[in-house]
Amino acid sequence: MAVSIKFPGMQRIVTNTDSIDMPITENTRVSDALQYVRQQHPSLPLEEGLVLVTVNLEAAPLDRTLRDNDTISFLPLIAGG
Amino acid sequence: MKILHQIEYKPARVIGGYTDRILRVDLSKREITIQEPPADFKNKYVGGRGYALKIIWDGTTRDTRYDSPENILVMASGPLGNEPAFPGTGKFIVATISPLTDTFIDSNIGGHFGPILKRAGFDALAVSGVSREDIVILIDGDAQTISIAAAPAYDKETDDGSLSFGENLLRDVNGGECSAYLAAVTAGKGARNVRFGIVNSLFFDVRRKRLRSKQAGRGGTGTVMRYKGLRGVVVRSSLSVVNSNNAVNREAVRQAGSRLKAVLSKCDPQQLSMATWGTTSLSEYMDKFHIFPINNYQYGQSPDSPKLFAQVFLDKYFNKKIPDGCYYGCNLACAKGAENVELTRGPKAGKMVNIDGPEYETVGAVSCMGIFDPHFVMEYNWYCDEYGIDTISTGVTISFFMECFQRGFLTADDIGYELAFGNIQAVDRLLHEIADGQGFGRIVGQGVARGKEWVARKYASRNGTSEDAITAELNKFGMEVKGLEFSMYITKESLAQQGGYGLALKGPQHDEAWLIFIDQVHKELPTLEHKANALKWFPLIRTWFNATGLCKLPWIDVRNPEAASTAEPAKNLPTLNYYVAYLNATTGSNKNLEDILDDSERLYILQKLINLRHGKGTRASDQIPWRAMGPVYFNEYEARAEYYDEWLRQQLGDDKIPASSEQRHKLLMEKRAETYQHLCDIVYQKKGFTPEGIPKRETVERFGLMDEQARQLLSELGV
Repeated sequence: MAVSIKFPGMQRIVTNTDSIDMPITENTRVSDALQYVRQQHPSLPLEEGLVLVTVNLEAAPLDRTLRDNDTISFLPLIAGG
Repeated sequence: MKILHQIEYKPARVIGGYTDRILRVDLSKREITIQEPPADFKNKYVGGRGYALKIIWDGTTRDTRYDSPENILVMASGPLGNEPAFPGTGKFIVATISPLTDTFIDSNIGGHFGPILKRAGFDALAVSGVSREDIVILIDGDAQTISIAAAPAYDKETDDGSLSFGENLLRDVNGGECSAYLAAVTAGKGARNVRFGIVNSLFFDVRRKRLRSKQAGRGGTGTVMRYKGLRGVVVRSSLSVVNSNNAVNREAVRQAGSRLKAVLSKCDPQQLSMATWGTTSLSEYMDKFHIFPINNYQYGQSPDSPKLFAQVFLDKYFNKKIPDGCYYGCNLACAKGAENVELTRGPKAGKMVNIDGPEYETVGAVSCMGIFDPHFVMEYNWYCDEYGIDTISTGVTISFFMECFQRGFLTADDIGYELAFGNIQAVDRLLHEIADGQGFGRIVGQGVARGKEWVARKYASRNGTSEDAITAELNKFGMEVKGLEFSMYITKESLAQQGGYGLALKGPQHDEAWLIFIDQVHKELPTLEHKANALKWFPLIRTWFNATGLCKLPWIDVRNPEAASTAEPAKNLPTLNYYVAYLNATTGSNKNLEDILDDSERLYILQKLINLRHGKGTRASDQIPWRAMGPVYFNEYEARAEYYDEWLRQQLGDDKIPASSEQRHKLLMEKRAETYQHLCDIVYQKKGFTPEGIPKRETVERFGLMDEQARQLLSELGV
């Protein structure tokens, strides 16, 4: 089983890729994905409270359990213009 | 330059953010007067939009239209504008009675004009009357003179252009040199020929070593300026920008500013990266969540959208090494620009130009026309600025006519050519026709609301059908409310933003409430009650920014990490606390956030009264096109049928879902329309309005606004 972690915007430039795949088990959570990205791309600043976590484009908490083929993004907290 | 009238004056010193002087210029009488407002004026009306509201409420009537001589064009910063120690303090407001909405409009604009006007001695400039010849106003705080001069004539190309004319004008009054001590506002030839003319704000950027421009884009303020015969206003002051507000507590200003700057430095790179990409960074996120307004807001997403993402503009156009604040001291620095871009289309093809932008809104406007060519975005941006027309209203109005062509309401014979979505050649031709007031451009220059009337007449006479029936159909996808075109966000899946647009007093511009992400994506407004509360709170705090001379982006577009532990993170209250501290340190007040919201509510109610006076203030004026609520036509529904069917299931339960997709589509739209009315009911109640959207007497009295005019107006409305 695996999930895809997408890198939008400036994250794509820092990581030099659109996405990475992460193998998961039945108990893998969103917080594990965050940790995985930090290990794979330590130069990518991802601070809890400064990003909106989405799973399959829906906002998700860090303790949500991941499923096969889920798509995860760590998005900016866009609130205005 | 031929001086027609001049006075000498002693510039008032700025103390605690205010000069307590308003400059009044009557162009019909060629009179210049300096007004000292009453002692409580600033306490009651704050500055910026608040000053403009009071001046226009008192100085115009319900019969005043954009081209009435008594119409007033107000330009005003606010007590917190003009402070490099705090980010985002170069904003000022341009306000008037709009040619699009026939009621009060204000548009905020960056650059140095507002701060220099203040250093030259004025909290606001209010221009009334109409000049028979084209003129310019020169406010020279150094020479201590204010002049009305005949607009200089250079050559036709320069005189037609807002940017070109402005640069020549600024050099003209300063011995041929540009200088950081001067700034100007100008209007171009397009503003003479359309209802959505803009005001350009020109200032010298010492880093890029060239003139930059920002725009007051919405609602036709440039059209009014040009109609008055006012080609430009130049302000000059060589007073130091450091502590030029003479804050009551300079150290506290410095501390508040340092805290905000630290948040921006740390958090912007992790969030929207606006310091690098400007607001173009939004395109990708809007597309991801079906909010990008493609083909007149029909579809929110396209495989072609990545051609308009921020990285494209960064790689091809933006200079990556220069901080781009539109005023000193702003480290969000989102005012991106490009040098030496070659125009490949239009009457200036082959010319190398400097371009300020594009902002997200301009990118969105081009996608709205079904075009995904980044170089066209750059050219469209420059031509619109040079002509002095709004990129948003221009794009939305063209898109409306494109959809009329798509759906058979107009033919190529009506237009003169095939105006199909994505047809760059057609748009390129039409853009210049609009600016020249020629051909089909003359029709498009009137905006969507008047465009609907024209199409209905044309179609009805050709087909022998009723104009009313056609108008009803056009109202479904003609993207305007109160006469103003929508800005560039699809609201189909955000009820809160439907209210954000529909209930906005000026019309559907997002600077009053931008709730789309916190509603649709963050899911922070799950109930009607939450949405209605947000539709009261956000317009009030945003009004305050427009009254004080501040940019909202450092507050709202960079989330403070401390906000995560607050009850309502989207309000970003930890950052707002810096603003409250900045206010008190500057003016010497002792206000808290609730006091600020009360101040704003007074201004909000006053704006509502002006809308009522001009026939745009009741529930009928808050209605939005069906396109804003959901998929109007079956093709839009089909594009996301699975999503919409699931939405219906969640609302109604499985057993009430019709079998046919046509019936599901019809039911979906009925449900959306019904829900919007419920939202209006709750919002009106929370704002102290009647069910018709009219402020109750006690609401008006609570804010000290019950003057004779208000009393009579409410009586006529049966309140």
